[in-house]
Amino acid sequence: MTEEREHPIENLAAHALGALEASERMHIDDHVAACATCASLLEQYRAVAGTLPLGLDPVPPPVEAWAAIRAEAARRRPLRAERVGTTRRPGWRRVTWPVLTALAASLLAWNVVLQFELTHRPPGPEVEALARRPGRLVILAGTGAPGASGRLLVAIDGHHGHLATAGLTPLGTERTYQLWFVRPDAPPASGGTFRVDTHGRAWATVTVPISLDEARLIGVTEEPAPGSAELTGKYVLEAKTWR
Amino acid sequence: MPDPLQRVRSVGSSDRLEPSDTELLHRMQLREEQGLELLYARYGGLVFTLALRIVGDRELAREVLQDTFIRCWDGSESFDAGRGRVPWWLMGIARNRAVDLLRSRPHQARLREREQLAAGASEAAQPDATDARAMRHAVINALQGLPGAQRQAIELAYYGGLSQTEIARELDTPLGTIKSRTREAMDRLRVLLWPLIEPQGEASDGRD
Repeated sequence: MTEEREHPIENLAAHALGALEASERMHIDDHVAACATCASLLEQYRAVAGTLPLGLDPVPPPVEAWAAIRAEAARRRPLRAERVGTTRRPGWRRVTWPVLTALAASLLAWNVVLQFELTHRPPGPEVEALARRPGRLVILAGTGAPGASGRLLVAIDGHHGHLATAGLTPLGTERTYQLWFVRPDAPPASGGTFRVDTHGRAWATVTVPISLDEARLIGVTEEPAPGSAELTGKYVLEAKTWR
Repeated sequence: MPDPLQRVRSVGSSDRLEPSDTELLHRMQLREEQGLELLYARYGGLVFTLALRIVGDRELAREVLQDTFIRCWDGSESFDAGRGRVPWWLMGIARNRAVDLLRSRPHQARLREREQLAAGASEAAQPDATDARAMRHAVINALQGLPGAQRQAIELAYYGGLSQTEIARELDTPLGTIKSRTREAMDRLRVLLWPLIEPQGEASDGRD
């Protein structure tokens, strides 16, 4: 096996430019997570890509843009305080303590599972960064398999993520699970395929092909291996809201 | 409101008083609006310029600009210094958001807008700070030093939001050729620009 085949060098530059198809991105992300050499090279390419806008003729932003950003930031500040429990709103009073307790217990249990998975992954920048600061979290509930659930952790760049699932039925070699992002008036976009272990668990690096803000539903279906170009199966996991 | 760009330039007359980018992110984590304001003053213009180059429409570019800084405000703790500097992180957020918008529009319309923008962009040029100007010249020179086909591959990927496969189709060129051009171009840029970015870049401007 040649060096080129061992390390996906040919695609690292394109990855830094955001110019790979979803399946190629996933392959690179998997490799980079465990390869310090390629991770270092990819970061250099990313740094170069980050300087490209400096080569453009600068255009001043509209003067009203800052006011809009400041207003939105101010609007979100109390919301964030509310989320961590420093501010009460009437809606909380309608939630009973048993529900809150159950939610807290399930989150605690999930974090234990997540940390276990993280510690059993090969070290790499993606996993290390994820362990420190996950970006957005999507909680997927089982719709076809009782007790099945999933967590999609989307990095701050909005295009990379890690999917952890539990409770899914292990599949034969001719079938696979596939993650989908559904938006209005467009075909579902694939985030990649994954398999589960004999305990029904999976930990996969996935691609987020569209903005989460544009998605109306995120789901997992069972599809023919190695994955479908179009969604054909029924959802076994799905989420319709996320933060 | 006073122009934040103007305000930072006056502060910038004494560079050592300027907080670093990571310090600004820290302030944002503490929900201090001034951190966001200074970061916007520093990079708002660049984010808008990038967004406008990609989406080709001032309204959409403003949407990208606002969304980028709000995401930054919401997720400033997600910045990982081990993976690069703050402006690269910001440009990554902006570029991805802009491409998301771009991909939601008809391709031919995108191409028309890009051509119109290329024709009119230089009219809106504004002066910028000395360090940024020097870096800008380095980037421009590096890009101009590339063979035309390599530069085209880079621009279609980064600004056009096209995948390698789409570029190959667009240019009616084998995919392998496009991959080679992209890699060769990025390697040349890396050789020329990386020494300016790291580590001297950090030492000279002290922003990270």
